[in-house]
Amino acid sequence: MSFIEILQILLQGAGYTLLITFSCAATALVVGLAIAMARELGGAWISAVLSAWVYVFRGVPMLVLLFVVFFGLPGVGLDVPPLLAMMLSLGFISGAYLSEVFRGALAAINPNEVLAAQAMGFTRFETLRLIKLPQMLRFSVPGMINELTTVLKYSPFAYTVGLPEITKQAMALVATTMRGIEIYVAIGLIYFAIYRLLLSFVRLIEKRYAVPGFAEE
Amino acid sequence: MALLEVKELVKSYGGRNVLDGVSFDLEEGEAKVVMGPSGCGKSTLLRCLNLLIEPTSGSILLDGKDITRPGADVRALRSRIGFVFQNFALYRHMSVLDNVTLALRRLKKVPRREAEERALHELDRMEMADKRDAYPAALSGGQSQRVAIARALAMDPKVLFFDEPTSALDPIMVREVVTLINGLYLDNVTILCVTHDLGLAKHISDRVVFLDQGRVYAEDLIENLLRRDDPVIEDFFGEG
Repeated sequence: MSFIEILQILLQGAGYTLLITFSCAATALVVGLAIAMARELGGAWISAVLSAWVYVFRGVPMLVLLFVVFFGLPGVGLDVPPLLAMMLSLGFISGAYLSEVFRGALAAINPNEVLAAQAMGFTRFETLRLIKLPQMLRFSVPGMINELTTVLKYSPFAYTVGLPEITKQAMALVATTMRGIEIYVAIGLIYFAIYRLLLSFVRLIEKRYAVPGFAEE
Repeated sequence: MALLEVKELVKSYGGRNVLDGVSFDLEEGEAKVVMGPSGCGKSTLLRCLNLLIEPTSGSILLDGKDITRPGADVRALRSRIGFVFQNFALYRHMSVLDNVTLALRRLKKVPRREAEERALHELDRMEMADKRDAYPAALSGGQSQRVAIARALAMDPKVLFFDEPTSALDPIMVREVVTLINGLYLDNVTILCVTHDLGLAKHISDRVVFLDQGRVYAEDLIENLLRRDDPVIEDFFGEG
């Protein structure tokens, strides 16, 4: 098998890696935002429940949660497809971490701005949407980059539930060709390229919403 | 009938009365200053008057209507009271123009073009129209305070509240803002201003409400207060 053929197979796996990373990252963003907003708008009871949720999801190993979802739930009659299982495990764990990134960003917002909005007559929801959220997202960029990179780096666990992502493809290829160094270095470079793609995507958003003198790195 | 009537206003925290039966009136076109030692309840009073803090008891009448009654429209009330904060509280992620038009567009549903015209009129009045596209990070303290005042005026409020408008400024900017507020006073804008600043009080007030330990200790013209042979008042102005 030529190295070009090997690369073709690896790139097919890279497609799965991209799919898993973006699905789980999107799940994480939705979960993280939902938790952050519910904590802001809900009462003490909701906040306590969500804090417990975040505490549990941050503490459970990703692989354990993935196995609970993929191998455990069929035992109670719920068959979960592999990609959905990844979203419910990696996406939810990452969402818990992101919610903490958002919580920190919310705490960095000047409370006088919030008071000024309320003094004008804005409701709590309007204040959240117009004043807090836009600032929170800007403050969160460095933390978001960290967390989305973590999602990419955890994506190889998908091979344990049968998704032919790039690491699984590489392992199969090494077993048949014995060209371990070349193949693993190649997937390392592909992972790095995907990381650069993610980074460019976040930087594009950052640039689009940049405000002079505000939350600049 | 006074524009604002405050009657026996009480605010308690854990059994301690921060405001302990405060009463005073504010006539339309009048400028009144609230002064008093730190912790006397000045800022709490201002926040109670637009219900940012819920009073424990007492009543507040704006245009004869009790705004503390159950079911009162808090949103409508707040849109009729302009509030300028000590630290300007401009929205850092918005341009000067967006800061001033936000409430007009979102609360009063004024179309964007009309809101911008009104905003530019107020910014021009504050000599800040040329900074319409600047962001708060690029403004000095005095400029920020001008934008904050324009933002409050754009809503065409019945009364303008100032909470220590000069305390975060250096002496040169203090003079600038005092001149500005004095201009509003001369334009017959109804003003209620909490301040420690004797210079500001002298320039903008018809009368001073002097608070001490949550009560109205005295209400008089500033020059009369300064002449009073009263240890509490002398102590305060002596410090200033």
